[in-house]
Amino acid sequence: MGSSAVEHLERRVAGRHPDLPENTAGSLRLDLRDGGRTEHWYLTIDQQDVRVSRSSDNAELVVGGDREVFDRLAEGGLNPAAAVLRNDLTVQGNLRLLLTLRRLFPGPPGARHPREAACGGGGR
Amino acid sequence: MKQELLHVLAGNSFAMGDGQGDMEVDPYAPIGLWSFDTRFVSRWVLTVGGQRLHALSRDELASFETRFVLVPGTASHYVDADVSVIRHRSLDDSFNERITVLNHSAEPADLTVRMEIGSDFADTAEILRPAPRRPEVTVDPVRRQLRLCYQRERFTRETLVTSTEPVEIDQHGMTFRIRVAPNGEWQNDLHVAMIIRGASGRDLRSSLESHRHHVRTDMREDLARWFDHAPQLVAHRDSLESAYTQALTDLAALRYMPLSYSERVPVGGLPWAMSLYGRDAMITCLQTLPFTPELTPATLHLLALLQGGQLDDYHDEEPGKILSELRYGEAAAFGEQPTVLYYGAADTTPLFVVLLDEYQRWTGDTDLVRELRHPARMALDWIDAYGDLCGDGYLRYQSRNSVNGVANQTWRNSPDAVVDRHGREPAFPRATCELQGYAYDAKLRGARLAREIWGDPAYADRLEAEAARLRERFNRDFWLPDRGYYAFALTPDGEPVDALTSNLGHLLFTGIVEPERADALAAHLCGPELFSGWGVRTYAAGQRPYNPVGAHLGAVWPWDNAIIAAGLRRYGHDTEAARIAAGIFAVAETLGGSVPEVVAGYSREVTKYPVQLPAAGRPQSWASGALLMLLATMLGLRPCDDNLLVDPQIPEGYGRIELLDVPGRWGRADCYGRERPADRRRSRRTARGAEPYQRSGTAR
Repeated sequence: MGSSAVEHLERRVAGRHPDLPENTAGSLRLDLRDGGRTEHWYLTIDQQDVRVSRSSDNAELVVGGDREVFDRLAEGGLNPAAAVLRNDLTVQGNLRLLLTLRRLFPGPPGARHPREAACGGGGR
Repeated sequence: MKQELLHVLAGNSFAMGDGQGDMEVDPYAPIGLWSFDTRFVSRWVLTVGGQRLHALSRDELASFETRFVLVPGTASHYVDADVSVIRHRSLDDSFNERITVLNHSAEPADLTVRMEIGSDFADTAEILRPAPRRPEVTVDPVRRQLRLCYQRERFTRETLVTSTEPVEIDQHGMTFRIRVAPNGEWQNDLHVAMIIRGASGRDLRSSLESHRHHVRTDMREDLARWFDHAPQLVAHRDSLESAYTQALTDLAALRYMPLSYSERVPVGGLPWAMSLYGRDAMITCLQTLPFTPELTPATLHLLALLQGGQLDDYHDEEPGKILSELRYGEAAAFGEQPTVLYYGAADTTPLFVVLLDEYQRWTGDTDLVRELRHPARMALDWIDAYGDLCGDGYLRYQSRNSVNGVANQTWRNSPDAVVDRHGREPAFPRATCELQGYAYDAKLRGARLAREIWGDPAYADRLEAEAARLRERFNRDFWLPDRGYYAFALTPDGEPVDALTSNLGHLLFTGIVEPERADALAAHLCGPELFSGWGVRTYAAGQRPYNPVGAHLGAVWPWDNAIIAAGLRRYGHDTEAARIAAGIFAVAETLGGSVPEVVAGYSREVTKYPVQLPAAGRPQSWASGALLMLLATMLGLRPCDDNLLVDPQIPEGYGRIELLDVPGRWGRADCYGRERPADRRRSRRTARGAEPYQRSGTAR
């Protein structure tokens, strides 16, 4: 299974995200490095809507890293905050948007609802 | 015997060492220079002529500044020293030490001054057994710099020590060969930068907006401004004034600037909790609203940013959940601990809503309530969607991280904290009673915000109905009629855990208690099993697991007592509240300095002196905040629309108390209270009754 960062950005990031606060707004650029090449993805967030384009324009937050690191982010195996502390992702600008970015990528695969973990999945 | 440890501290940075100012690794204490959960200096030892120094005096000038006056040799040897040394250190974004060597003789003195310097770059999580690391050491004689650098993959932490005076540098320190004129002096500044490397080898913080625009503030000016904004206390009892000043000083020192936000928030406290803890930070904010309300918007903003967004077992994260703990060290970065963003707490999420509402009541700031509507809704949704683990309507916890998750996800977080009267541990998931109180309170307060500010009366109705059902259910299932108190917790099968604990006070604080039961709770809280004379014990004596030195099985926590006293007043038990306030202030007064996070539960009559626990932190935000909250409780401060209500209940021996310029939606207001002569005291049981000393706001 798993999804590459590019696939994730192309298919699952653009559109409405009701779990984002309405008043979160900003621009975010992801710089995916692959050998000598850098691919720029530009995200615009406003009113729970995310637009995705390919652009190297300036953004409020620029997040850079190897493509492989972004791929792991897309698979849900990477916590972006930890990646920044490890310096696997570099950040420039308004770090608040990193926490927004976190909501646009999946959590770890196989994570359980706490009720499922606790009382064997018995709902109400 | 181990010697006394001294510290300087600023935000999440601190330097801890011995009475001479030296720092040498010790497995039982976080000695050294720490910042962002990393030890940047683990060895910092000063010698003159190869001899260690002995302190003649130490002057703790401020929480961020200490001066040592030293002479070479040990106490038994020096007589009429010809040389003395002044070591003046301060901490802000960096650590600075000014070394002054004085020659008292009529001859020039040729001396070798040496500072041993080393670092193990240990993480806060591994004090007992720091991992062996091999930092790279670089000597730069031109820049007079010693660089210690630790790297693991791309993770890089660096200590850069710079000398202002000419120096010989080697791998283990700096040596100064100096000649000091007769009656002259030599002076040198050592500057220690602590670097978290980010892009292009520069410090991570230099590329962050939140830190780039942060002008390095002068610590003294900053502290003066903090005091200037806080109300002024004029008290008949001097020790009350000094306790107040100390608490404000501690709260100022324990603010740090997180990476993702541009205003400072409270850390837990020294030495083990120098990082953001959701619970500690929010409780501190609740305690300090009448004094330093500026702490709250920053804390709420940051916690909203960090709010859980997904399911993650290792980090105990769920959508809408509010953070438990955040760390920046190596263990967090590499996922060896779940602390990069850890959500293992069941109380933080309802407390977020409680704090937002309480803040608005004091300040009238509806903008913040509007701005944080979405995270507050997510928090309220979390209570039922993710917190109700058995589907029986009770908020429960059970960690999904079986490796290193926190087992008890409430403020009683030691592993053995939740036990019945006979020491039996209930199964998980556990529904402790205070969680139900917080959930009830959050729903009611959420309903007020929805109705008055978010313009959503239907949602308000729903929350109120849910709160009413929770209250009814709680009063039925948790009440132990034979014992006359609420059970500590319920098992997954709904069986009560029958222990008597201080959580009863939290229940009063949240208002979930039926009024006719409040008398019984007050009697327990101030009875001999729970009340030690200094304060209310976490866990009542007379039960098998009771242990006066058990953090959550008998010890006394000032913050817990501040909540209890406020709860007692809410239900009209004013005399009991005053007794508790007087007990905790007696702890602060007797010990002097910052009030510790916790003291032992021994009876005051037996020990006469508050017994400190070795593991107790000091200063701690919520302990210092507790003194402010107790003061507000003595004065009976309460916001009511645009007025500040005052209803003093001053303990015996406190005389007159004036609290001037209390900030709030009224502008600034002055409050007065005085102790009533014993024969004039009347029993008042009308909760929120008359306001004898009401002074409406006088805006300046």
